[in-house]
Amino acid sequence: MKREIAILGIIIGIAVGFAVGWFVPGLFTEPTPTPLIDQIKTRTYIIVGTSADYPPFENKTYPGGVIVGFDIDVSQMIADELGVTLQMQDIGFDSLIGACRAGTIDMIAAAMTYNAERAVQLAASATYISVSQVVIVKNNSLDFLAPITNLTALIGFDVGCQSGTVMQDELEAIPGINVFTYASADILIQDLNAGGIDAAYADGPIFNAWEGTYDLRIIYSSEEEPLALWTRHGEPALLYEINKVIFDSYQDGRMYTLINKWFGNVTA
Amino acid sequence: MPDFFDIFFYIIFHGLFNTLLLTALGLLGGFLLGIILAIMRVYGAKELMWLSSGYEKLLRGIPILILIFIFTYGIPDLFWYIDLLDRPLASVILALALRSSAYQSQIFRGAIISVNPGQMEAARSLGMSKVQAFRSIIMPQALRLAVPSWTNEYAVVIKDSSFAYAVGIVEMTKAGYDLGVGFTDLWALSIGVVAILYFLFTYPVARVFGEGQTKKLKKLGMGGG
Repeated sequence: MKREIAILGIIIGIAVGFAVGWFVPGLFTEPTPTPLIDQIKTRTYIIVGTSADYPPFENKTYPGGVIVGFDIDVSQMIADELGVTLQMQDIGFDSLIGACRAGTIDMIAAAMTYNAERAVQLAASATYISVSQVVIVKNNSLDFLAPITNLTALIGFDVGCQSGTVMQDELEAIPGINVFTYASADILIQDLNAGGIDAAYADGPIFNAWEGTYDLRIIYSSEEEPLALWTRHGEPALLYEINKVIFDSYQDGRMYTLINKWFGNVTA
Repeated sequence: MPDFFDIFFYIIFHGLFNTLLLTALGLLGGFLLGIILAIMRVYGAKELMWLSSGYEKLLRGIPILILIFIFTYGIPDLFWYIDLLDRPLASVILALALRSSAYQSQIFRGAIISVNPGQMEAARSLGMSKVQAFRSIIMPQALRLAVPSWTNEYAVVIKDSSFAYAVGIVEMTKAGYDLGVGFTDLWALSIGVVAILYFLFTYPVARVFGEGQTKKLKKLGMGGG
């Protein structure tokens, strides 16, 4: 008898526990959640997620360990517009969309290309800069003596790209290319230089960032792709402010100053 | 360009605190929960035993990285009362503590049942209650017996804390990785320095507390190892 009561107690306890766990968060959060922009202003900081391994868009200083880059300066303009401080969160590129959807970060500024699948998951801002994608090889490469006109010329070769990027989708759409994915651009370029892969497919500014370190050349350049800042769906007020900053900064020239600061005169 | 010692101190300066914080709180949480689970398993009714062994089996069957992702991005409102910026840290500590508690409960269960059951009978015959006997006779001996294997658990948790880099916490792994991004030529070296640092924080502890304690226990005629 005692045993049956104990079993019953445990079952009821678990059931009550789940029920309470289900309802308690509902008691604490208001039925109509406050807009994200008000939350940001109340807590006086905006959390921007990035993947700090992609110079010149974002990387860390030495020895300070501070995240700097083009995207950070753009985010700083948005934070200034909102009158809040900027808090950068350094998360892996693959996890950024999940983190933004979960609410761990408010906005993504990570040189993320606009495409339709991402636009389903998150709300995209206006294009804040366009970059072309380039195929990079070592300067002394004998496989590619002349520039190529199409990615299909890479069939049969080992080609690297960053994982979770549009470049990966493009390469994998062409059968016959051996696609190697890398967590970050620095390892990608390093492996290219070491001879692990024949060519690398990456954003144009990546080439500009590394050509001083390694002996590289471009054999293919795509049409310019738009990069967007991303935030959650259903936050029109925040999206409006982000877009306003992008348009205003192109109007008054602040954006061109940043482009010159980070990319020199080579892009856009 | 930074040399070996620059890298060494950069990683210590930027990452050591978070690594030790995660390890300490993860171990502490695992200790408290693990002892309760062990007591449930040794002295509890059959249903409590099922509950705790089911918990252990579940937690031991899930990789730590998955637990971290579940608590950080899967249940983002889990720590709704904590500042948004600190939530990933709290999630990782919870993941480490829950995981560690499953292993620590095994350690303590083994330690408790390796104390001679005659001691419990003797204590009861002297008029102690079961709780009194456990608290002042069994537990002090069991904790002592658990030290060598508990040191092993410390080594596991400090290494598991490296997975926190995946949710953006700057601990030793992440600090070493960041350095490799800034100086591509030093990528392999900085990861190597991280490996050395983890070893430095693992081996001496295992040596002093693990092997030292085992020898001491042998002298006292306790423990098998």
